[in-house]
Amino acid sequence: MDKDLQDLEKKSIAIIREAKAQFKNPAILWSTGKDSTTTIWLCKKAFFGDIPFPVIHIDTGRKFPTMYAFRDKIAAEWGFNLLIAKNESALNQGMAPEKGRLDCCTDLKTEALKDLLQERKFDALFLAIRRDEHAIRAKERYYSPRDNDFNWNYADQPAELWNLYVKPSEDFSHMRVHPILHWTERDVWQYLQQENLPINPLYYAKDGMRYRSLGCMPCTVPIPSTASTVDDIIQELETSKTPERAGRTQDKEKAYMMQKLRALGYM
Amino acid sequence: MLMIILALDALDLKQVERFNCHHLLQTEYGETSLTGFKQERTVVLWASFLTGKNLEASIPVETQWTYRVHSEKTFLPYFTTHKTIDVPAFSFNQKAHVEERGLLKGVFDETVTIEAYDAVVWRNHEKNKEAFLKTIGHFDLVMGYFNLADAIGHLSFGINDKLAVVYEELDRIAEAVKDSNDLLFIISDHGMKAIGRYGDHSRNGFYSFNQEMGLHHPKITSFHMLLRRLAENEYATS
Repeated sequence: MDKDLQDLEKKSIAIIREAKAQFKNPAILWSTGKDSTTTIWLCKKAFFGDIPFPVIHIDTGRKFPTMYAFRDKIAAEWGFNLLIAKNESALNQGMAPEKGRLDCCTDLKTEALKDLLQERKFDALFLAIRRDEHAIRAKERYYSPRDNDFNWNYADQPAELWNLYVKPSEDFSHMRVHPILHWTERDVWQYLQQENLPINPLYYAKDGMRYRSLGCMPCTVPIPSTASTVDDIIQELETSKTPERAGRTQDKEKAYMMQKLRALGYM
Repeated sequence: MLMIILALDALDLKQVERFNCHHLLQTEYGETSLTGFKQERTVVLWASFLTGKNLEASIPVETQWTYRVHSEKTFLPYFTTHKTIDVPAFSFNQKAHVEERGLLKGVFDETVTIEAYDAVVWRNHEKNKEAFLKTIGHFDLVMGYFNLADAIGHLSFGINDKLAVVYEELDRIAEAVKDSNDLLFIISDHGMKAIGRYGDHSRNGFYSFNQEMGLHHPKITSFHMLLRRLAENEYATS
């Protein structure tokens, strides 16, 4: 095993085990993308094959058919407890990106997850975010407390000195735990290759285009690429000057600004 | 002596220095403090500036844009004659700002282009500037409000060339109204910080005077008493 990847894996597994020991009722989010698939694999490794908590997939009803097929295949093969979070009521009322991308994301993702969290009383959620993905994610910590409205106060986060991840004593709704926060996009691809993990075919180039980041079908666009193998993708990343989430139309900065302007009364 | 207050929404000291706006940077300048305010709401901050009191709790976000302070609660009556142009919580041009906010929402909903939004903001700015410059010299106090740095900044603060044009324009206005016989006071409600290409309100506003005032990191509510005293002293000796 590559020494750098071994170090990354070791730290991630330590975080996963630590969180499992600290929280009574954790769960992990899985989009079927490369990062969350890597993270559930790390959970399997951390607990010697079985993931001792549920795996949550947020179903917006608008994901690529390939993502649903990949989800069902891997869930069956890896044998974990898959929970689907879906806001049926918003979907029945016709919620769609045309009604406002932020509103659509809020209803179909955030509200769906909130409902499931409330129902199952999860106190910690493992998420596969990475610091190099986005400027806002670079501010994240491994342990990131959220309040009842899922608000994250990045200016007031617990210190994480000497690799100690401490549950704050103040009230919080649930803890977000980020085991691969320190990984890069390239690390993830190298790890997927090393571990021979299943990869959603949407990542591979077809007719000169491939998806670099997976989201909902109406809000995700492919990038020009000829990378049709993991080796090609790793090579492509060496020279790429495009941000990873450039293909996501609902970017986080825009969403943050819209929420802030609403809070300030502009909209 | 006449007094001119140039009220520039979201003017940020770091940007004023970065773009070398030497007409905005006067004899005394610095940052203001928003200590005591939970949020950097435009109407709240200008209402508090006018009255010298933190009015955050009494201005609900839902109705803030139509909120008005009574003249007698402000420092304005201390000046024999005064005129305000488009000042939030006082003489705000509702129609123009409703249009701007509607277009801003349209940009986020992807029904309006940023260029179309910018064009309306600049058009409204030019109208205000014309009214402001015409008024100078006819009143003891003229207070003109310009939201250019805020309105353009929210969508384009991270775009250097665009922001430079905004700051150059505001610097030109300061240059146009500068007169050594008058007191020119430049004040912003809050500053701005980059969120990618966007701009978010920051906790420090800007102030400058063309005379030494000896202030140190003043609160936005501190100016009310200072302006009253300046007005009282001026009329006591004239």
